[in-house]
Amino acid sequence: METAFLFIFVFGFLFLGVPIAISLGLSAVLYIALFSHDSMSSVAVQLFNASQNFTLLAIPFFILASSFMSTGGVARRIIRFSIATVGSIRGGLAIAGVFACMLFAALSGSSPATVVAIGTIAIAGMRQAGYTKEFAAGVIANAGTLGILIPPSIVMVVYAAATNVSVGRMFLAGVIPGLIAGLMLMVAIYVMARVKNLPAQPWPGFKEIWGALSEAAVGLFLMVIILGGIYLGIFTPTEAAAVAAVYACLIALFVYRDMGPLSGIGWIEDEDGPLALTGFKAITYAVVAMLTWSGIAALVTERDGVFGIDSAIVLVAALIGYPLLRGGVSAAELPGTYAVGGKVWGRNLGIIGLKFLPALFHRDTKKVLTDSAKTTIMLMFIIVNALLFAHTLTAEQIPQVITDWMVEAGFNWFTFLLAVNILLLIGGQFMEPSGLLLIVAPVVFPIGLELGVDPIHLGILMVVNMEIGMITPPIGLNLFVTSGITGMSLVQVVKAAAPFVLVLLLFLILVTYVPALSTFLPYMLMGPEIITQ
Amino acid sequence: MSRVGRFVDSLEENIIAFILALMTLVTFSQVVARYGFNSGWGGALELTRVLFAWLILFGMSYGIKIGAHLGVDAVINLLPRPLFRLAALLGAALTVLYAVLLFDATWFGGMLALENKGSTGGAYAYVAKFYKLPIGMEDLKWPVFIQEWFGVKERVPRWMPYVILPIGLVLLAFRAAQAFVLILIGKKDAIIAAHEAEELVAENKDVLKD
Repeated sequence: METAFLFIFVFGFLFLGVPIAISLGLSAVLYIALFSHDSMSSVAVQLFNASQNFTLLAIPFFILASSFMSTGGVARRIIRFSIATVGSIRGGLAIAGVFACMLFAALSGSSPATVVAIGTIAIAGMRQAGYTKEFAAGVIANAGTLGILIPPSIVMVVYAAATNVSVGRMFLAGVIPGLIAGLMLMVAIYVMARVKNLPAQPWPGFKEIWGALSEAAVGLFLMVIILGGIYLGIFTPTEAAAVAAVYACLIALFVYRDMGPLSGIGWIEDEDGPLALTGFKAITYAVVAMLTWSGIAALVTERDGVFGIDSAIVLVAALIGYPLLRGGVSAAELPGTYAVGGKVWGRNLGIIGLKFLPALFHRDTKKVLTDSAKTTIMLMFIIVNALLFAHTLTAEQIPQVITDWMVEAGFNWFTFLLAVNILLLIGGQFMEPSGLLLIVAPVVFPIGLELGVDPIHLGILMVVNMEIGMITPPIGLNLFVTSGITGMSLVQVVKAAAPFVLVLLLFLILVTYVPALSTFLPYMLMGPEIITQ
Repeated sequence: MSRVGRFVDSLEENIIAFILALMTLVTFSQVVARYGFNSGWGGALELTRVLFAWLILFGMSYGIKIGAHLGVDAVINLLPRPLFRLAALLGAALTVLYAVLLFDATWFGGMLALENKGSTGGAYAYVAKFYKLPIGMEDLKWPVFIQEWFGVKERVPRWMPYVILPIGLVLLAFRAAQAFVLILIGKKDAIIAAHEAEELVAENKDVLKD
């Protein structure tokens, strides 16, 4: 009877338009105040202690990294690379849009940010190439949901925090499903393109692919830092997120220069002369090749220092090889090439050194920090209150009651997963993903364990459900965002997105009943999960 | 907006931006210290956690002010205008209740004359209790120069980080009460945001419209 109040409170408050965080928190607080003898002091302290969770600490850093990466230029570079690689397939621009969303998802954990960053450029491009607006909007609205499935993902961090599975495993588990979801969307587009006879882009040649890649690579390296850093044990997921945030900040301010005091200042100026680009590239490639080689060599041979004599050989070889073979420079011009390349580097390092501190206190930087802090507060306030609510649920043994009931009612893993899917698809219509996950996870997690469902698999399944919740009415975040930026009505966007939502539903069934998709990679790289409760 | 209003605005923004930047730098510097100098600072993790708590607990009231907290508006949007306003007022009032109960819940049980007297204490009682007890944080220590100048003990007292809890709740109650009045006089619609990307969409509104 008393527990019924808990649910009556929470749903009553939610539908009356009380903020989600307050609905959850106040229900728990009222329940304790009315029915228990617990001291309110210990409840209040939980608000403080919820943020002491080391896993959740990664969230503000991921949000910050993602904000720095969402500045216009990164999306533009990723789209250029995507069009260069897959644009020449039939329906290529739409396929490139999906590919760009996948790549962007690997830099940012946020779906709406993906839709805005990629969508504003890609939808306009598709329209110019003769695609209908509906088709373009439908593609991007769906592909944007990959943001929470492809690591790093904030929703996965929340699941890991709620169930004590490792964040690293969750991230790894998201890789294969993320690729498959992207591929399924691409195949669907290709089939539609064949039927509708949609255009293909001309083949741009390997030079354009390489050029686009080398521009985008600086941003995409963020993925390497996060995933590589976690799996090689260099740092914890939380530290990886902090390093990623600092890296993203430096890249946005000093390399891409889309914001801050250096915006508009190019790396190479016209007056540097014709050899400048070759010289600059020779030095850059040589250093990057040397660092990459040394890093891999140090890993493989497990030698003491990172650098060896081989590092120097790679450096010199690239320094001489690139201008001669690729740059079309004669041997006699080599010294001049290095001189002008060195001059370009020197000038740029000079500007960066001079503007380093001003850039960190620039108003653009402050805006990114403030925006990220706002997002963190909004999300974390829901999370701490959801934890408070979940704590009350657990204290009242509610998950245990439901587990017993489900096992007794004869649920097996197959029907259980179906039930979880339906529950989440409905819940996802009304609740913010992280909050929903924190409430549902403590309830379904023990049942899943009882029925032999892998916890990582369960987590991926929940994330995919949240994804679909984002593109189904009435409350689909990506639908709102797409409708907002395109000026189409919500109904139009829902219709436009519908064919691809079917693809994602198919994908959900696949992920639900083929656990290996989620568990293969983490098991292979990190061994089986050991659950301690 | 008045000058005081602008000042408070930028003060709040600066505080949350500063806390986030500090958290990032402390965590980042730990990684650098570990690999670059093979050292580290024992209190770093605890400091980051305390900063994180301060960010959330200080920021929750700011979230009410700028209307950033998410809510479900699908149902109340269907209501006629007067009922919608009533729901919005209720939302603000319940937020005040939430803050007040967590601040101190002793009055609640007494007021309702509950048989079991309800629960007692709250954030204020907690901090007040620890203010009297000489218990320090686990790892968080004062820098040496502060220890010498002010003659304080080595560890940061436990009540200090936790003091944000009652302060944050008071601020939350204040902002929610303010929102209540603003809704009442018709200057504000509701305290919730319908979805988390409202600002993002507003910035890019109709950029692709024909």
